[in-house]
Amino acid sequence: MIDTRINRRSVLAGGLATAGLAALAGCTPAQGSQTTTLQFWHLLSGGDGITMQGMIDRINAAHGGFHVRPTVLAWGAPYYTKLAMAGAGGRAPDLAVMHSSRVSGYVPGGLLDPWDLNQLTELGVSESTFTDPVWNSSVVDGEVYSVALDAHPFITLYNTEICEEAGVLNSDGQLMRPDNPEDFLEMGREIAGVTGTYGLSYGFIGDGNQMWRLFYTLYCQHGQQMTFPQGGSVEVDGDAFVAVLEFMHRLVDGEVASQRGTIDAAVAEFAAQRTGMHFTGVWELPPMQEAGVPLGATMIPPIFGDEAVYADSHSFVLPHQANPDQQMRRDTYTVVAELLKNSITWAGAGHIPAYLPVTENEDYAELTPQAEYAEAADYLVYDPVAWFTGSGSNFVQQFGQIVGSAITSGSGYDQALEEFRRYVDNLLAQPNPANPQGGRS
Amino acid sequence: MTDVMAGRSAAGPEPGAAPGEDSKGRRTSPTRGQASRRGQLVAWAFLGPFMVAFLLFVIWPLIHGIYLSLTDQSLTGAGGSFIGLGNYSEALSDPVMWTSIGNTVWFTLITTVPLVLLALIMALLVNTGLPGQWLWRLSFFMPFLLASTVISQIWVWIFNPQIGAANEILSAVGLEPIAWLQTANVDLISIAIATIWWTVGFNFLLYLAALQNIPTLQYEAAAVDGAGPWRQLFSITIPQLGPVTGVILVLQMLASLKLFDQAYQMMEGGSSETSRPIVQYIFEAGFVGYRFGYASAISYIFFVLILIVGIFQMVVLRNRKGSS
Repeated sequence: MIDTRINRRSVLAGGLATAGLAALAGCTPAQGSQTTTLQFWHLLSGGDGITMQGMIDRINAAHGGFHVRPTVLAWGAPYYTKLAMAGAGGRAPDLAVMHSSRVSGYVPGGLLDPWDLNQLTELGVSESTFTDPVWNSSVVDGEVYSVALDAHPFITLYNTEICEEAGVLNSDGQLMRPDNPEDFLEMGREIAGVTGTYGLSYGFIGDGNQMWRLFYTLYCQHGQQMTFPQGGSVEVDGDAFVAVLEFMHRLVDGEVASQRGTIDAAVAEFAAQRTGMHFTGVWELPPMQEAGVPLGATMIPPIFGDEAVYADSHSFVLPHQANPDQQMRRDTYTVVAELLKNSITWAGAGHIPAYLPVTENEDYAELTPQAEYAEAADYLVYDPVAWFTGSGSNFVQQFGQIVGSAITSGSGYDQALEEFRRYVDNLLAQPNPANPQGGRS
Repeated sequence: MTDVMAGRSAAGPEPGAAPGEDSKGRRTSPTRGQASRRGQLVAWAFLGPFMVAFLLFVIWPLIHGIYLSLTDQSLTGAGGSFIGLGNYSEALSDPVMWTSIGNTVWFTLITTVPLVLLALIMALLVNTGLPGQWLWRLSFFMPFLLASTVISQIWVWIFNPQIGAANEILSAVGLEPIAWLQTANVDLISIAIATIWWTVGFNFLLYLAALQNIPTLQYEAAAVDGAGPWRQLFSITIPQLGPVTGVILVLQMLASLKLFDQAYQMMEGGSSETSRPIVQYIFEAGFVGYRFGYASAISYIFFVLILIVGIFQMVVLRNRKGSS
């Protein structure tokens, strides 16, 4: 009779045997091909994540020498903390995605390695293949630390049927673009008259990112940009600052847009076709198409005169490695170049590809409604450069706290401006915590 | 048997014999000293692993934290040079830190009092012999079993300004809806409401156990003396619950001072000036702002404040005990 009982000794023996076999297998050159694994961290979830996975799968299928293994992490502060710790701990992934606006805060701490422009050029990627705003967002202290995959601006989605009924489409069937606050608010009221709810969906309550995106778009439409000189004082135009807050208060008057619009509620009401316009990022375009909304898309109109579009870019970075494997680095460059060249797929997710040969191609011109806002690439404004700014940073959350009650209550604009100045000046006086001994660089 | 062995070992080994053996080379029972040493070894064998863990994960971080608080150490590995009390002086003049401490103290006040009173009322109601006691006990205690992530999600939905149940109730009674988690000074109260719902069951259970330990004889004697239900409540029940109330107060204050996870999750990680507890500020300073040294300094300031509260509470309780 065979004893089939499992005892401690048999478990240990089995475990050791398995471990030994695994170790031997690992040492055997013939065990598999010479495939190496390229670790790739990114923060793209939902539809963006699925699209990126498809692009990676195609690259993996086309190359036998390496295999890209993505690790998807929740975006925001936790992602950036993990990335910083991985770089500091010397176990950084080979490639990662960051928002361009966060790169300048990472460079002084030595958390990123610069890209080799010669290698990029050999692969067809160079300054001439990007618009100026996008390329400039990659450069820190004269070196290129990020390669942008896209620009994802804050735009206006609109429901073509509702807007047509409200009479706010032009002769080309596209949304009118008023160039002053009164006309825009009137347009919102016209649409609200059709929907019976609101004209515009704009989620901002409790969301500093959303408040900053619209605020900075409208602020820059005054022909202004903010400057955050390290160790100095914030350069901000007080009149423009207050004018934008006043306008945002009038916008969320309970008729043009809800006074209590959260981001989720705004998405839901536009998807349910209860409003005619939606201020949002381009990433909301695919879900709205899937929801069956008859969709158009355009830049936020030049309400204060100038064209300006708040944006950020998903950019590829090389997290710092003490002794990078040169072959792995070459493979990383190859992956990035191929992702850029195939970013027409990425455009399907709503983003504007950063790689100009893609957006200048006829395929992109035929992609609707993306092509409607393609010119936004020329008017992009990124966050003011400082170690504390950028998408998902505490800075934007604090901005929301500072201006939130002014927007909802319609009072205290000057106090909000003073508090904003005080908050930013305090941060400017501090050294970059990623590199405290590097001074205020 | 034990007595015999004890007698032998007390007598000790015979002269000329090796330790542990008698004069004929036979093994003897251990001496008292040997037994004591063996007992010590056994004790250390049991205590050792815990001591190692305690030293590694409590004492060492405590000492290392003090050292870090005196440096400009960054999470990224940069920095680390000694800056003396720079972090402490910065923290003491940091309005955000004081606001966060103020928020934490305010939260402790607005949760501790209801958590004690509600738990007492709930326990008294259940103890009166309501039908279906198991159902009351279960429903009062069940929220406590949920994870903070679950209760945060539940209450984020309840407090949703457009589709949440809280505003539905306000509308039903003719009041204006509120953006519960997005309005300054209301957000922390909203978190407190969720916390009370979540944790009151534990205090309720402690009170219920204490109530069931009060001898019924006392009530019978009081009833014979003509004491009505209210007199019994204030002269027997509440004084008898004194010790458990002390325990609940201490536990509750410590739990409320450590507020973090439900606040962090209900505010979706975004901090509000009026809702950010001190633990979240420490987290933000260290893990979002990368300032480990500064975060450590705030931790120790907070530690000292808790110590003061603890000592104060101890003194008050001791005085009360002395006077009674």
